[in-house]
Amino acid sequence: MGWEGKLLSIHIAPEASYEMEALEEAELVAGRGIVGDRYYLGRGTYSPKPDCREITLIEQEALDALVRDDPPMQGSSIKIEPFEHRRNLTVEGVPLNHLVGYRFSIGECILSGGRLNFPCRYLEQLLDRPVFLPLYNRSGLNCWIEKGGVIHPGDQIVPLNEVTTKPHR
Amino acid sequence: MNARIIMKLHVERRDQLDEDLVRIWLRHPLRPKLPAWSPGAHVDLRLGDGKIRQYSLTSDPQDLSQYAITVKRENAGRGGSSWVHEHLNEGAQARVSTPRNNFVLVEAPSVLIAGGIGVTPLISMGRALMQSKLLHGFHFCSQRAQPKVVEELKQICETSLSTYVSDDPNSPRLDLSALIAGLSRDLHIYCCGPEHLMTEVKELTKDWNQEQIHFEVFNTAADEGYKPEPFDVIVSSTGETLRVPANHSVLDVLRMAGHIVPSSCRQGLCGTCECGYISGDVIHRDSVLSPDARQDRMMPCVSRARVSVTLDL
Repeated sequence: MGWEGKLLSIHIAPEASYEMEALEEAELVAGRGIVGDRYYLGRGTYSPKPDCREITLIEQEALDALVRDDPPMQGSSIKIEPFEHRRNLTVEGVPLNHLVGYRFSIGECILSGGRLNFPCRYLEQLLDRPVFLPLYNRSGLNCWIEKGGVIHPGDQIVPLNEVTTKPHR
Repeated sequence: MNARIIMKLHVERRDQLDEDLVRIWLRHPLRPKLPAWSPGAHVDLRLGDGKIRQYSLTSDPQDLSQYAITVKRENAGRGGSSWVHEHLNEGAQARVSTPRNNFVLVEAPSVLIAGGIGVTPLISMGRALMQSKLLHGFHFCSQRAQPKVVEELKQICETSLSTYVSDDPNSPRLDLSALIAGLSRDLHIYCCGPEHLMTEVKELTKDWNQEQIHFEVFNTAADEGYKPEPFDVIVSSTGETLRVPANHSVLDVLRMAGHIVPSSCRQGLCGTCECGYISGDVIHRDSVLSPDARQDRMMPCVSRARVSVTLDL
């Protein structure tokens, strides 16, 4: 895969349902998550259900498409701000759906694509906007953190073209 | 519909409106504008122990730089108002949900009837109705005189305001049956206050078009002390009756009986396992379904029933 993307913003929430807070710098811990985030702390909505949620990503391109009502199924434009979609990282130029089962790097860290994120009614309720269907198949990527470190908005994201398997955690 | 974003707001100011009545002004620490709301809306406030209380917004929805809630200390209450009075001092942090509105104002000529602290959702409604020249009377009954609240209502409602103070022998009494009998039938009535007031209004408006009669009813905080009980599930397509023990969900029992029901979060949040029901007294414990949807839909991962429920499966 020949592409190069960029990390636009980093957000964490201290607990389930709490508003996301923007970070200018975040510490990623392999096998756990982003320091301070609800999934790192085991306090996320889905924490009781073990799954791949150490860190979640979404494409800015998908959010832009919702603003354009593209494909035209929403009836009107839906704007979701980066602090609203509840994924940790908003990225640009990164084909997330192609990264299931592959390693890629963000700055000094290495993530491993776990599974596609699935939109849920919970987000729709939280935002009071009909985002469930518009986010189908572009709701982001849930990842494992293979190599921790510090990341910043603006960091480069590149594919490592290495297949990965579900870690034993 | 309980799922809402929780914001950590800053207590900017506290106004003592009466010895047991306080108004708390809240501001977002990072953003200049708070989420929009409409008259009648409320927020959930998280108390120190994580319990939730709902309070109507009493500020002006056109000014989103801050929210205000107005809280009466109820010493005989469940502890929420005392906690607010003791802990939400200037500079404190308040954990507040984004607003929701279960008491929506219709654009129509209206009369507002408030009893005691039930006045809170009606303050913003009175303001909106005055602006649209649709306010046909604001009736505020209270036990004690509430000079600061009355002063505010007078500014908002001008001559449309009538007040009734039961402790003051010189104050007029609200004769609800005369009031309602004299109202034009095209008016909407909004009422919030103690149970006996709302029951009386309900009784006196029995033969009105019910779509014109609105009450604010706060859910008593979900789940406090909830104890699951066993009950039966009837599957309408097969006619089988399945027993749901106290320690299992409807979803568990359906799956054990071989039914295929998709599910994901198992916490009443994601909406995946939603299914219909035909009859039964369902105890809804999810955070997803709207009050309308709850008439015939349920989330079998968390919701239960009294005695039995017949599922549309």
